Amino acid sequence: MSEHQDRDLLAAEFVLGSLEGEDRREATRLLAEDAGFARSVAAWQQRLTPLAAQVPAVAPPTGLWRAIEARIDPPAPPSRVLPLRRRLRFWQATTFGALAVAASLALLITTRHPEQRRVAVLMPVSGGMPAMTATVSRGGELVVRPATSITVPGDRDLELWELPQGETKPRPLGVLPPSGIVLATTLAGNTQLLVSLEPKGGSPTGQPTGPVLYGGWLTMVELPRG
Amino acid sequence: MQAAAQPTEGDDTDSLLHRCAGGDRAAFRQLYDRWGHRLYGIALRITRQAAPAADATQDAFVQIWQQAHRFDPERGSTEAWLIGIVRYRALDIMRSRTREVPGYEPPEIADESPDALARLVGTAEGAALHRCLGELEPGRRRLVVMAFVEGLSHSELARCLRVPLGTVKSGIRRTLRTLRGCLAS
Repeated sequence: MSEHQDRDLLAAEFVLGSLEGEDRREATRLLAEDAGFARSVAAWQQRLTPLAAQVPAVAPPTGLWRAIEARIDPPAPPSRVLPLRRRLRFWQATTFGALAVAASLALLITTRHPEQRRVAVLMPVSGGMPAMTATVSRGGELVVRPATSITVPGDRDLELWELPQGETKPRPLGVLPPSGIVLATTLAGNTQLLVSLEPKGGSPTGQPTGPVLYGGWLTMVELPRG
Repeated sequence: MQAAAQPTEGDDTDSLLHRCAGGDRAAFRQLYDRWGHRLYGIALRITRQAAPAADATQDAFVQIWQQAHRFDPERGSTEAWLIGIVRYRALDIMRSRTREVPGYEPPEIADESPDALARLVGTAEGAALHRCLGELEPGRRRLVVMAFVEGLSHSELARCLRVPLGTVKSGIRRTLRTLRGCLAS
Protein backbone atom coordinates (compact mmCIF):
# COMPACT_ATOMS: atom_id res chain seq x y z
CA MET A 1 0.00 0.00 0.00
CA SER A 2 3.07 2.27 0.25
CA GLU A 3 2.64 3.03 -3.42
CA HIS A 4 -0.80 4.46 -2.63
CA GLN A 5 -0.14 6.66 0.33
CA ASP A 6 -2.15 9.26 -1.53
CA ARG A 7 -5.58 7.66 -1.42
CA ASP A 8 -7.21 10.49 -3.30
CA LEU A 9 -4.91 9.70 -6.21
CA LEU A 10 -5.88 6.02 -6.02
CA ALA A 11 -9.52 7.17 -6.20
CA ALA A 12 -8.65 9.23 -9.28
CA GLU A 13 -7.06 6.20 -10.96
CA PHE A 14 -10.06 4.08 -10.08
CA VAL A 15 -12.41 6.59 -11.74
CA LEU A 16 -10.09 6.91 -14.72
CA GLY A 17 -10.45 3.13 -15.05
CA SER A 18 -6.84 2.24 -15.73
CA LEU A 19 -6.23 0.23 -12.54
CA GLU A 20 -5.92 -3.53 -12.81
CA GLY A 21 -5.05 -6.54 -10.70
CA GLU A 22 -4.32 -6.02 -7.00
CA ASP A 23 -4.60 -2.21 -7.17
CA ARG A 24 -8.07 -2.41 -8.65
CA ARG A 25 -9.21 -4.97 -6.05
CA GLU A 26 -7.83 -2.76 -3.30
CA ALA A 27 -9.69 0.30 -4.65
CA THR A 28 -12.93 -1.67 -4.98
CA ARG A 29 -12.58 -2.85 -1.38
CA LEU A 30 -11.92 0.69 -0.12
CA LEU A 31 -14.91 2.01 -2.05
CA ALA A 32 -17.18 -0.34 -0.11
CA GLU A 33 -15.53 0.11 3.30
CA ASP A 34 -14.06 3.59 3.53
CA ALA A 35 -16.44 6.57 3.41
CA GLY A 36 -13.58 9.01 2.81
CA PHE A 37 -12.42 7.03 -0.20
CA ALA A 38 -15.99 6.83 -1.54
CA ARG A 39 -16.21 10.64 -1.29
CA SER A 40 -12.95 10.98 -3.22
CA VAL A 41 -14.31 8.65 -5.92
CA ALA A 42 -17.53 10.70 -6.20
CA ALA A 43 -15.55 13.94 -6.48
CA TRP A 44 -13.31 12.56 -9.23
CA GLN A 45 -16.33 11.14 -11.00
CA GLN A 46 -17.77 14.65 -11.05
CA ARG A 47 -14.49 16.11 -12.38
CA LEU A 48 -13.80 13.54 -15.12
CA THR A 49 -17.31 12.65 -16.36
CA PRO A 50 -17.34 15.55 -18.90
CA LEU A 51 -14.88 13.40 -20.90
CA ALA A 52 -17.76 11.01 -21.63
CA ALA A 53 -19.48 13.76 -23.64
CA GLN A 54 -17.37 12.92 -26.68
CA VAL A 55 -18.60 9.32 -26.84
CA PRO A 56 -21.47 9.10 -29.34
CA ALA A 57 -24.78 7.65 -28.18
CA VAL A 58 -25.69 4.36 -29.85
CA ALA A 59 -29.11 2.72 -30.00
CA PRO A 60 -29.05 -0.32 -27.70
CA PRO A 61 -30.09 -3.68 -29.19
CA THR A 62 -33.83 -4.27 -29.31
CA GLY A 63 -34.83 -6.57 -26.50
CA LEU A 64 -32.50 -4.96 -23.98
CA TRP A 65 -35.37 -3.20 -22.22
CA ARG A 66 -37.30 -6.45 -21.95
CA ALA A 67 -34.25 -8.18 -20.44
CA ILE A 68 -33.89 -5.40 -17.87
CA GLU A 69 -37.59 -5.44 -17.08
CA ALA A 70 -37.48 -9.20 -16.51
CA ARG A 71 -34.73 -8.74 -13.93
CA ILE A 72 -36.44 -6.04 -11.89
CA ASP A 73 -39.59 -8.07 -11.22
CA PRO A 74 -41.36 -7.83 -8.81
CA PRO A 75 -41.81 -4.06 -8.44
CA ALA A 76 -39.78 -2.54 -5.64
CA PRO A 77 -41.62 -1.57 -2.45
CA PRO A 78 -42.65 2.09 -2.52
CA SER A 79 -41.28 2.63 0.99
CA ARG A 80 -37.86 3.13 -0.57
CA VAL A 81 -38.68 6.73 -1.33
CA LEU A 82 -38.48 7.68 2.33
CA PRO A 83 -34.72 7.55 2.93
CA LEU A 84 -34.04 9.82 -0.08
CA ARG A 85 -36.68 12.35 0.97
CA ARG A 86 -35.30 12.38 4.49
CA ARG A 87 -31.78 12.80 3.21
CA LEU A 88 -32.87 15.62 0.90
CA ARG A 89 -34.59 17.40 3.78
CA PHE A 90 -31.53 16.95 5.94
CA TRP A 91 -29.30 18.18 3.18
CA GLN A 92 -31.44 21.24 2.57
CA ALA A 93 -31.60 21.98 6.28
CA THR A 94 -27.91 21.98 7.02
CA THR A 95 -25.97 25.20 6.79
CA PHE A 96 -23.46 23.60 4.50
CA GLY A 97 -26.27 22.43 2.23
CA ALA A 98 -27.81 25.89 2.18
CA LEU A 99 -24.46 27.43 1.27
CA ALA A 100 -23.96 24.87 -1.48
CA VAL A 101 -27.41 25.59 -2.89
CA ALA A 102 -26.74 29.34 -2.78
CA ALA A 103 -23.39 28.84 -4.49
CA SER A 104 -24.86 26.68 -7.24
CA LEU A 105 -27.70 29.14 -7.81
CA ALA A 106 -25.18 31.97 -8.09
CA LEU A 107 -23.26 29.92 -10.64
CA LEU A 108 -26.44 29.23 -12.58
CA ILE A 109 -27.32 32.92 -12.71
CA THR A 110 -23.88 34.03 -13.82
CA THR A 111 -23.29 31.25 -16.35
CA ARG A 112 -26.76 30.79 -17.85
CA HIS A 113 -29.46 33.37 -18.25
CA PRO A 114 -32.58 31.53 -17.00
CA GLU A 115 -34.84 32.95 -19.70
CA GLN A 116 -32.56 31.91 -22.55
CA ARG A 117 -33.01 28.56 -24.25
CA ARG A 118 -31.47 26.89 -27.27
CA VAL A 119 -34.15 25.93 -29.72
CA ALA A 120 -34.30 24.61 -33.27
CA VAL A 121 -37.16 24.37 -35.71
CA LEU A 122 -36.67 21.36 -37.96
CA MET A 123 -37.95 22.05 -41.47
CA PRO A 124 -38.43 19.47 -44.22
CA VAL A 125 -35.45 19.77 -46.57
CA SER A 126 -37.90 19.42 -49.45
CA GLY A 127 -39.73 22.55 -48.23
CA GLY A 128 -43.00 22.98 -46.37
CA MET A 129 -44.20 23.57 -42.83
CA PRO A 130 -42.06 22.93 -39.69
CA ALA A 131 -41.96 19.24 -38.82
CA MET A 132 -40.41 19.21 -35.36
CA THR A 133 -39.14 21.51 -32.65
CA ALA A 134 -36.10 20.86 -30.51
CA THR A 135 -35.40 22.57 -27.18
CA VAL A 136 -32.51 22.22 -24.78
CA SER A 137 -34.12 22.03 -21.35
CA ARG A 138 -32.81 23.90 -18.32
CA GLY A 139 -31.19 20.66 -17.20
CA GLY A 140 -29.33 20.43 -20.51
CA GLU A 141 -31.48 17.70 -22.02
CA LEU A 142 -32.56 17.80 -25.64
CA VAL A 143 -36.36 17.64 -26.04
CA VAL A 144 -37.59 16.93 -29.58
CA ARG A 145 -41.32 17.14 -30.29
CA PRO A 146 -43.31 16.73 -33.49
CA ALA A 147 -44.95 19.92 -34.78
CA THR A 148 -47.13 17.93 -37.13
CA SER A 149 -48.21 14.34 -37.52
CA ILE A 150 -45.33 12.27 -38.90
CA THR A 151 -45.69 8.76 -40.28
CA VAL A 152 -42.78 6.41 -40.81
CA PRO A 153 -42.94 3.15 -42.83
CA GLY A 154 -43.07 0.09 -40.54
CA ASP A 155 -39.65 -1.15 -41.61
CA ARG A 156 -37.95 2.20 -41.08
CA ASP A 157 -36.96 4.45 -38.17
CA LEU A 158 -36.16 8.13 -37.97
CA GLU A 159 -32.70 8.90 -36.63
CA LEU A 160 -31.55 12.17 -35.10
CA TRP A 161 -28.09 13.60 -35.88
CA GLU A 162 -25.98 16.49 -34.75
CA LEU A 163 -23.78 18.30 -37.28
CA PRO A 164 -21.62 20.98 -35.59
CA GLN A 165 -20.55 23.95 -37.67
CA GLY A 166 -17.37 23.27 -39.62
CA GLU A 167 -17.71 19.49 -39.34
CA THR A 168 -18.61 17.23 -42.24
CA LYS A 169 -19.67 14.04 -40.49
CA PRO A 170 -22.86 14.07 -38.42
CA ARG A 171 -22.82 12.44 -34.99
CA PRO A 172 -25.67 10.03 -34.22
CA LEU A 173 -27.91 11.08 -31.32
CA GLY A 174 -30.25 8.12 -31.52
CA VAL A 175 -33.39 6.70 -33.03
CA LEU A 176 -36.24 9.21 -32.91
CA PRO A 177 -39.79 7.95 -32.36
CA PRO A 178 -42.32 10.04 -34.35
CA SER A 179 -43.89 10.93 -30.97
CA GLY A 180 -40.72 12.76 -29.94
CA ILE A 181 -37.96 12.06 -27.46
CA VAL A 182 -35.99 13.49 -24.55
CA LEU A 183 -32.27 12.74 -24.76
CA ALA A 184 -29.47 13.31 -22.31
CA THR A 185 -26.68 14.52 -24.55
CA THR A 186 -24.02 17.19 -24.82
CA LEU A 187 -24.33 19.25 -27.97
CA ALA A 188 -21.66 21.36 -29.63
CA GLY A 189 -21.91 25.13 -29.21
CA ASN A 190 -23.00 25.87 -32.74
CA THR A 191 -24.72 22.97 -34.36
CA GLN A 192 -27.55 21.87 -36.59
CA LEU A 193 -29.84 18.94 -35.98
CA LEU A 194 -30.76 16.58 -38.81
CA VAL A 195 -33.28 13.76 -39.08
CA SER A 196 -32.77 10.97 -41.59
CA LEU A 197 -34.81 7.93 -42.60
CA GLU A 198 -32.97 4.75 -41.64
CA PRO A 199 -33.48 0.99 -41.43
CA LYS A 200 -35.27 -0.25 -38.30
CA GLY A 201 -33.07 0.33 -35.23
CA GLY A 202 -31.06 3.12 -36.81
CA SER A 203 -28.18 3.44 -39.25
CA PRO A 204 -25.94 0.37 -39.12
CA THR A 205 -22.89 2.43 -40.17
CA GLY A 206 -22.93 5.35 -37.71
CA GLN A 207 -23.55 7.73 -40.61
CA PRO A 208 -26.85 8.55 -42.34
CA THR A 209 -27.64 5.89 -44.96
CA GLY A 210 -31.09 7.15 -45.96
CA PRO A 211 -32.34 10.56 -47.08
CA VAL A 212 -32.12 13.51 -44.67
CA LEU A 213 -35.75 14.58 -44.18
CA TYR A 214 -35.59 17.48 -41.71
CA GLY A 215 -32.98 19.90 -40.46
CA GLY A 216 -32.49 23.11 -38.49
CA TRP A 217 -29.89 25.12 -36.54
CA LEU A 218 -30.00 25.35 -32.77
CA THR A 219 -30.09 29.02 -31.82
CA MET A 220 -30.34 30.90 -28.53
CA VAL A 221 -33.68 32.61 -28.01
CA GLU A 222 -35.17 34.64 -25.16
CA LEU A 223 -38.25 32.92 -23.78
CA PRO A 224 -40.98 34.92 -22.06
CA ARG A 225 -41.17 34.51 -18.28
CA GLY A 226 -43.44 31.92 -16.80
CA MET B 1 -39.45 1.29 -31.80
CA GLN B 2 -41.80 0.47 -28.95
CA ALA B 3 -44.09 3.20 -27.69
CA ALA B 4 -41.76 5.70 -26.06
CA ALA B 5 -43.01 7.88 -23.25
CA GLN B 6 -44.23 11.25 -24.44
CA PRO B 7 -41.82 13.91 -23.25
CA THR B 8 -43.36 16.28 -20.73
CA GLU B 9 -42.11 19.20 -18.69
CA GLY B 10 -40.84 18.57 -15.16
CA ASP B 11 -39.57 15.08 -15.83
CA ASP B 12 -35.87 15.86 -15.59
CA THR B 13 -33.47 13.06 -14.76
CA ASP B 14 -33.30 14.02 -11.07
CA SER B 15 -37.07 13.65 -10.67
CA LEU B 16 -37.10 10.41 -12.68
CA LEU B 17 -34.42 8.92 -10.44
CA HIS B 18 -36.32 10.03 -7.36
CA ARG B 19 -39.46 8.36 -8.71
CA CYS B 20 -37.47 5.19 -9.46
CA ALA B 21 -36.39 5.17 -5.81
CA GLY B 22 -40.08 5.07 -4.97
CA GLY B 23 -40.65 2.05 -7.20
CA ASP B 24 -42.19 3.95 -10.14
CA ARG B 25 -41.63 1.71 -13.16
CA ALA B 26 -43.00 4.22 -15.66
CA ALA B 27 -40.30 6.64 -14.50
CA PHE B 28 -37.72 3.87 -14.90
CA ARG B 29 -38.89 3.30 -18.49
CA GLN B 30 -38.54 7.03 -19.17
CA LEU B 31 -35.08 6.99 -17.66
CA TYR B 32 -34.17 4.09 -19.97
CA ASP B 33 -35.57 5.88 -23.04
CA ARG B 34 -33.57 8.94 -22.17
CA TRP B 35 -30.26 7.40 -21.07
CA GLY B 36 -30.22 4.00 -22.82
CA HIS B 37 -28.52 5.35 -25.96
CA ARG B 38 -25.87 7.23 -24.07
CA LEU B 39 -25.03 4.53 -21.56
CA TYR B 40 -24.94 1.84 -24.27
CA GLY B 41 -22.67 4.08 -26.39
CA ILE B 42 -20.28 4.49 -23.45
CA ALA B 43 -20.28 0.74 -22.72
CA LEU B 44 -19.75 -0.06 -26.41
CA ARG B 45 -16.75 2.25 -26.58
CA ILE B 46 -15.14 0.42 -23.66
CA THR B 47 -16.05 -3.16 -24.62
CA ARG B 48 -15.89 -2.66 -28.42
CA GLN B 49 -18.34 -5.50 -28.91
CA ALA B 50 -22.12 -5.48 -28.85
CA ALA B 51 -22.68 -8.49 -26.56
CA PRO B 52 -20.59 -7.36 -23.56
CA ALA B 53 -21.82 -3.78 -24.07
CA ALA B 54 -25.43 -4.99 -23.86
CA ASP B 55 -24.57 -7.04 -20.74
CA ALA B 56 -22.93 -4.02 -19.10
CA THR B 57 -25.88 -1.76 -19.95
CA GLN B 58 -28.37 -4.33 -18.70
CA ASP B 59 -26.51 -4.79 -15.40
CA ALA B 60 -26.15 -1.03 -15.06
CA PHE B 61 -29.87 -0.35 -15.42
CA VAL B 62 -30.75 -3.12 -12.95
CA GLN B 63 -28.27 -1.54 -10.53
CA ILE B 64 -29.71 1.93 -11.18
CA TRP B 65 -33.19 0.65 -10.34
CA GLN B 66 -32.06 -1.16 -7.21
CA GLN B 67 -29.82 1.64 -5.94
CA ALA B 68 -31.79 4.74 -6.99
CA HIS B 69 -32.61 5.35 -3.33
CA ARG B 70 -28.90 5.46 -2.56
CA PHE B 71 -28.14 8.26 -5.00
CA ASP B 72 -26.83 11.18 -2.96
CA PRO B 73 -27.27 14.58 -4.68
CA GLU B 74 -24.75 16.06 -2.27
CA ARG B 75 -21.98 13.98 -3.80
CA GLY B 76 -22.49 14.76 -7.45
CA SER B 77 -24.79 14.99 -10.45
CA THR B 78 -27.15 12.28 -11.64
CA GLU B 79 -25.23 12.28 -14.92
CA ALA B 80 -21.92 11.44 -13.22
CA TRP B 81 -23.66 8.76 -11.12
CA LEU B 82 -25.39 7.06 -14.07
CA ILE B 83 -22.31 7.17 -16.30
CA GLY B 84 -20.14 5.91 -13.42
CA ILE B 85 -22.33 2.84 -12.96
CA VAL B 86 -22.17 1.74 -16.60
CA ARG B 87 -18.44 2.49 -16.91
CA TYR B 88 -17.46 0.42 -13.86
CA ARG B 89 -19.65 -2.45 -15.05
CA ALA B 90 -18.10 -2.35 -18.55
CA LEU B 91 -14.61 -2.13 -17.03
CA ASP B 92 -15.37 -5.08 -14.72
CA ILE B 93 -16.35 -7.16 -17.73
CA MET B 94 -13.25 -6.14 -19.68
CA ARG B 95 -10.82 -6.67 -16.80
CA SER B 96 -12.08 -10.17 -16.07
CA ARG B 97 -11.95 -10.95 -19.77
CA THR B 98 -8.31 -9.87 -19.99
CA ARG B 99 -7.48 -12.25 -17.18
CA GLU B 100 -9.39 -15.16 -18.69
CA VAL B 101 -8.15 -14.78 -22.24
CA PRO B 102 -4.34 -14.61 -22.20
CA GLY B 103 -4.15 -13.84 -25.93
CA TYR B 104 -6.44 -10.81 -25.69
CA GLU B 105 -4.97 -7.81 -27.49
CA PRO B 106 -6.52 -4.36 -27.33
CA PRO B 107 -7.31 -2.90 -30.75
CA GLU B 108 -5.35 0.00 -32.20
CA ILE B 109 -6.69 3.32 -31.00
CA ALA B 110 -7.00 6.48 -33.05
CA ASP B 111 -5.68 9.72 -31.56
CA GLU B 112 -8.21 11.88 -29.82
CA SER B 113 -9.01 14.88 -31.98
CA PRO B 114 -9.05 18.45 -30.65
CA ASP B 115 -12.62 18.70 -32.03
CA ALA B 116 -13.74 15.94 -29.69
CA LEU B 117 -12.24 17.68 -26.68
CA ALA B 118 -13.87 20.98 -27.71
CA ARG B 119 -17.16 19.29 -26.84
CA LEU B 120 -16.20 19.53 -23.17
CA VAL B 121 -16.83 23.26 -22.90
CA GLY B 122 -20.63 22.85 -22.82
CA THR B 123 -20.73 22.83 -19.00
CA ALA B 124 -18.83 24.75 -16.30
CA GLU B 125 -17.19 21.55 -15.10
CA GLY B 126 -16.33 20.53 -18.64
CA ALA B 127 -14.84 23.94 -19.35
CA ALA B 128 -12.57 23.66 -16.30
CA LEU B 129 -11.46 20.18 -17.36
CA HIS B 130 -10.88 21.40 -20.91
CA ARG B 131 -8.68 24.24 -19.67
CA CYS B 132 -6.66 21.93 -17.41
CA LEU B 133 -6.26 19.23 -20.08
CA GLY B 134 -5.08 21.98 -22.44
CA GLU B 135 -2.26 22.82 -20.03
CA LEU B 136 -0.96 19.25 -20.13
CA GLU B 137 1.74 18.03 -22.46
CA PRO B 138 -0.09 16.26 -25.40
CA GLY B 139 1.28 12.80 -24.57
CA ARG B 140 0.03 13.09 -20.99
CA ARG B 141 -3.36 14.36 -22.11
CA ARG B 142 -3.66 11.41 -24.43
CA LEU B 143 -3.00 8.94 -21.59
CA VAL B 144 -5.85 10.33 -19.53
CA VAL B 145 -8.34 10.58 -22.38
CA MET B 146 -7.56 7.08 -23.70
CA ALA B 147 -7.87 5.54 -20.27
CA PHE B 148 -11.20 7.21 -19.47
CA VAL B 149 -12.89 7.04 -22.86
CA GLU B 150 -11.54 3.77 -24.26
CA GLY B 151 -11.34 2.04 -20.89
CA LEU B 152 -7.73 0.91 -21.36
CA SER B 153 -5.82 -0.50 -18.39
CA HIS B 154 -2.25 0.43 -17.49
CA SER B 155 -0.84 -2.59 -19.33
CA GLU B 156 -3.08 -2.08 -22.37
CA LEU B 157 -1.94 1.54 -22.57
CA ALA B 158 1.68 0.41 -22.32
CA ARG B 159 1.16 -2.03 -25.19
CA CYS B 160 -0.76 0.47 -27.36
CA LEU B 161 1.73 3.27 -26.84
CA ARG B 162 4.76 0.93 -26.84
CA VAL B 163 6.19 2.32 -23.60
CA PRO B 164 7.20 0.47 -20.41
CA LEU B 165 4.41 -0.26 -17.89
CA GLY B 166 6.21 1.71 -15.16
CA THR B 167 6.28 4.79 -17.40
CA VAL B 168 2.52 4.58 -17.97
CA LYS B 169 1.81 4.17 -14.25
CA SER B 170 4.00 7.05 -13.12
CA GLY B 171 2.83 9.21 -16.04
CA ILE B 172 -0.83 8.73 -15.13
CA ARG B 173 -0.25 9.44 -11.45
CA ARG B 174 1.73 12.57 -12.20
CA THR B 175 -0.91 13.75 -14.69
CA LEU B 176 -3.78 13.18 -12.25
CA ARG B 177 -1.86 15.07 -9.57
CA THR B 178 -1.37 17.99 -11.98
CA LEU B 179 -5.06 17.88 -12.94
CA ARG B 180 -6.11 17.87 -9.29
CA GLY B 181 -4.05 20.99 -8.64
CA CYS B 182 -5.33 22.75 -11.75
CA LEU B 183 -9.00 21.89 -11.13
CA ALA B 184 -8.77 23.14 -7.55
CA SER B 185 -7.38 26.52 -8.67
